Amino acid sequence: MAAKKLRRARLSQELCERLSRHQITTCQDFLCLSLLELMKVTGQSYYDVQKLLCKVSRACAPKMQTAYEMKLRKSVNPSSAFLSTTLHSLDKVLHGGVPCGSLTEITSPPGCGKTQFCIMVSVLATLPVSMGGLDGAVIYIDTESAFSAERLIEIAGNRFPTYFDSDEKLFCMTRSIHLYRELTCGSVLKRIMSLEEEIISKKVKLIIIDSVASVVRKEFDTKLQGNLAERSNFLAKGASVLKYLAEEFSIPV
Amino acid sequence: MQRDVGGLPLAPALRARLVAAGFQTAQELLETGPCGLSKEIGISKEEALEALQVVRQECHGDAARTAGGSGATRKCTALELLEEEQAQGFIITFCSALDNILGGGVQLTKITEICGAPGVGKTQLCMQLAVDVQIPECFGGVAGEAVFIDTEGSFMVDRVVDIATACVQHCQLIAEAHQEEDHLKALETFCLESILSHIYYFRCRDYIELLAQVYLLPDFLSEHSKVRLVVVDGIAFPFRHDFEDLSLRTRLLNGLAQQLIIIANDHKSAVVLTNQMTTRIGQSQSILVPALGWQHCTNHRVRRSQLYHITLHLMASEMCNLQLSLKMQKILK
Repeated sequence: MAAKKLRRARLSQELCERLSRHQITTCQDFLCLSLLELMKVTGQSYYDVQKLLCKVSRACAPKMQTAYEMKLRKSVNPSSAFLSTTLHSLDKVLHGGVPCGSLTEITSPPGCGKTQFCIMVSVLATLPVSMGGLDGAVIYIDTESAFSAERLIEIAGNRFPTYFDSDEKLFCMTRSIHLYRELTCGSVLKRIMSLEEEIISKKVKLIIIDSVASVVRKEFDTKLQGNLAERSNFLAKGASVLKYLAEEFSIPV
Repeated sequence: MQRDVGGLPLAPALRARLVAAGFQTAQELLETGPCGLSKEIGISKEEALEALQVVRQECHGDAARTAGGSGATRKCTALELLEEEQAQGFIITFCSALDNILGGGVQLTKITEICGAPGVGKTQLCMQLAVDVQIPECFGGVAGEAVFIDTEGSFMVDRVVDIATACVQHCQLIAEAHQEEDHLKALETFCLESILSHIYYFRCRDYIELLAQVYLLPDFLSEHSKVRLVVVDGIAFPFRHDFEDLSLRTRLLNGLAQQLIIIANDHKSAVVLTNQMTTRIGQSQSILVPALGWQHCTNHRVRRSQLYHITLHLMASEMCNLQLSLKMQKILK
């Protein structure tokens, strides 16, 4: 949205050319300038510049929705709002399961079973909707190299013996879990940025990152001064992209 | 009328030409007329007419202001201001300790900033306010609508449904106790659907969308004149990452704050901002301060802009913590 070119914001051709001579080509550049600077750059009067500002803002601003519309949209599809974890007490506490369309964070002391939980949830996501799953692919970003395919098959076979009765079904399930091994913060971020196309092409219904903390702790030593800012920068950037993906595609992350 | 040509809001190129041609005051321009102006400076007659219209508008604005009419720079006594401020409505928060500290609730025409550590209840408070602003006047509310600008994505419709249901029940109890005509009439329109349809929600993903939305807010508010509350949940979040140029960030934030002040005053609505806390690492100790150095802004402008700074140290202050949990129970009931 911010990188939208001014051309597409319905500004006149000559105005766009004039602005590009001052290196202002996107809405972001335009909105970051003050009114006086805009007057100087566009050569127009105060009131005209205000009108231009409104035009450009309209091109970038988000759409309005009332809370009522949001509620209606949610109530139309209640089953798609959560991914049930099949652990009854957990589902009760979470009011249905892992919520779709938002970021869920699982934290615990080491050895509690976070990775096992992630593997199980990946199996669940590949199940058809009739069995409580999401009938889609899974993207699993692994930073600790803790994912084991054998364990995956073991869990699937033991929990749903009736469904995974043939080897073919197991292979089908494993084919839809896409594993990415990333070992540095930079590669994790790059991978997250590239996920949008993959989600659409592979019909992904669940994104798992296991785990964010380990890769951050490895790279950023909080005792050094500058690292704190860089670390929070990385985390905030990653979080905002993941939130955008979760909301845009209504999938759990 | 004696306004200097250099100070008129015309296009810079035109202004430069006028000054070069020797025009000094607005009066001279108006006397010359469009045809004369176009001949002297070498612009078309239409451009000259446009420029003169702008000048005339400015001069009328000035004249109205000096005559003491309504405008941005009217003068009045402090007593008048006091009476006006006291007559302003409040948006109650349903937490009596908080209402006491705020002097009755969140005040209209003022900006209230709520900072706190993550998880302390800032978004919940904002959602509560978005429902409370709609309470009808006979129950002590301001009967307004709410604009909710969300930058973090933490707005939960289900929670708002819970809060609104509890609020309606609360008003129903009051109506039953008092049994007055206007209470029952107001209750007919004060229901879950109407509450939800009067919360206007905008999801801004980055700071450009936030800036664009705030530029468009005055137009939106003139279309929806019943709006009495503007909530910006997470004003710090989009500015905290991905910003190399800190001076640009400060400038944009100051501009944002000024626009919100204008909105609060012109449209008689309350503006509520939530801010994150960050750690300022000092020589001997680290303290939690509101993010983005906002504190400096507010200290400078406390006098003019009426910016209230409420730091919800909900972990430290026992009283607040207690009352806030009381409120949560009330709503859940």
